Amino acid sequence: MFRIRKYFVLFGIFCLQTIYSQNSVETQLAWADKLFASNQYFDAITEYKRVLFFDNRNELKAKIYFKIAKCYKAGAHLDEAINFFASVGKNATNDSTIFSAKLEIIRCNILRKTTERALQLCNELEKDGRFASNKNEINYWRGWTYMFADDWESASKIFGESPADKELKLLCNQVIDAKVSVTFATVISYILPGSGQIYSGKILSGLMSLAWNLAAGYFTVNAFIANRAFDGIVIGELVWLRFYRGNIENAKNFAVEKNFEVSNKALKFLQNEYRGLKP
Amino acid sequence: MLILISSAKLFAQSGAQEDLFSPNNRLKFANHLYSEKDYLRAIGEYKDFLKSTDNDTARFRFANSFLRIGRYDEAAQNFKILFIGSKLEEEAKLFYYQSLFFSKDFNAFQSNYDSRLNFPQKYSLTLDRLNSATYFLSKTNLPSEAVLIKPFEDSLQTKLIYFYQMMKNPPKKNPVTAALLSAAIPGAGKVYTGELTDGLIAFGATLLSGFLAVNNFQHDHNFRGWLFTGLTAFFYGGSIYGSAASAQIYNARLRFNLDSEIKIFFEERNYFLPKIDL
Repeated sequence: MFRIRKYFVLFGIFCLQTIYSQNSVETQLAWADKLFASNQYFDAITEYKRVLFFDNRNELKAKIYFKIAKCYKAGAHLDEAINFFASVGKNATNDSTIFSAKLEIIRCNILRKTTERALQLCNELEKDGRFASNKNEINYWRGWTYMFADDWESASKIFGESPADKELKLLCNQVIDAKVSVTFATVISYILPGSGQIYSGKILSGLMSLAWNLAAGYFTVNAFIANRAFDGIVIGELVWLRFYRGNIENAKNFAVEKNFEVSNKALKFLQNEYRGLKP
Repeated sequence: MLILISSAKLFAQSGAQEDLFSPNNRLKFANHLYSEKDYLRAIGEYKDFLKSTDNDTARFRFANSFLRIGRYDEAAQNFKILFIGSKLEEEAKLFYYQSLFFSKDFNAFQSNYDSRLNFPQKYSLTLDRLNSATYFLSKTNLPSEAVLIKPFEDSLQTKLIYFYQMMKNPPKKNPVTAALLSAAIPGAGKVYTGELTDGLIAFGATLLSGFLAVNNFQHDHNFRGWLFTGLTAFFYGGSIYGSAASAQIYNARLRFNLDSEIKIFFEERNYFLPKIDL
């Protein structure tokens, strides 16, 4: 009887030791999660790496790599984040984790504005038979890629494919409507100086440009009419042409500037006001 | 049962450790971070480990981590601790000098080197080369050519002599000469600084406006005459000023190109430092 009890106690000690050793890693993991939740990303990465170093179980690997990648992403270390998300993909045991990791890589690419890579990854993911049911999600991030690449037309088209993304489609359309055509602004400035600036919303600048061109043109023509060919050439070349060329250049710059403002305003809205998922 | 318990204990220590923060585990983890080049985190782990245990390799790696992330003062301080009675004494001294070198404290480097202070005999050739590099990079108080190029192999000496000569006697252009040349012949100063097209344009513009000024005065167009006189004076003055400025730009470009060339020469060869893995 005593012998049985002794073996029972020893067996208990054995179990406790195993559980304790397991617990110690679990406790550390919980601590790392707590650091992660309180936005202490540097320390969180250290603790996650510690857990990973001392407990190399495959089921833990994918989870921890994911958390480390998230920490790097939160700290704007996007290259490192992508490396760790890629490691998640290699160690994941189910398709859902692989899909999440791949989407995160796309999101990082959107943020670091490597548009081509983001689109390539979207295409690869779409072609992968395992994720056939996630087409909408892939399209959602494809749309975001286009928005970050300042291609609002393509983004609008993509968001138009899903009724759930109606809000984003509307935003894209607003941006498209608010934007001006750089080519049109330049061309009308060739025809009527100042009109390109006015078209881009710089009315005063446009009117001044028109006035300068009219005055310089008047003096040039006047000089030629009065048979002062030399004066006409000098004024025409040095004054009129300078204002005429300046007007075209200005029209182009103002149009580009205006488009930047419109895009930035939309992106700011997305960053601060939009409630849906963001990269 | 005892074997079972022992094996469980062993498993606990080797696989899933029961005390992740024991000195031994801290060292293991620090070494892992160090090998992954995660120096900032390795520093934290080595620091905690060194509080309880003195270990030369750990101290060396701790100091080297500082060096790798550009915290040169802390690196130098920690390498110094290994100067006495450590098996890594020579390496620590070499890396101490590296800390001074990469912090660009060339004066401290040179004064230490000249007085043979903390001099690692084992790496004397490396240090001789590093010392020469400090002169090539700082370009101040240049010693003789022979002293500077002596530690380097024959195949590199032609290049180093060229650097030395360029530092000692750079083929600079004198801004005063350039200005005087342009005063004598508009644009000549620009040609002197190698700006041939600019020089010809300045010459042509000054000549043309001068001709127009004279021509207008001759035909009693006084207003235009004065207008072109002013223009001629503007071109003439501009040519003189532009020539002096061009000489200064030439000199700055010369200096910049030489600096870049020297820097690339040493960087490509990793400053002739040996590969030391500890």
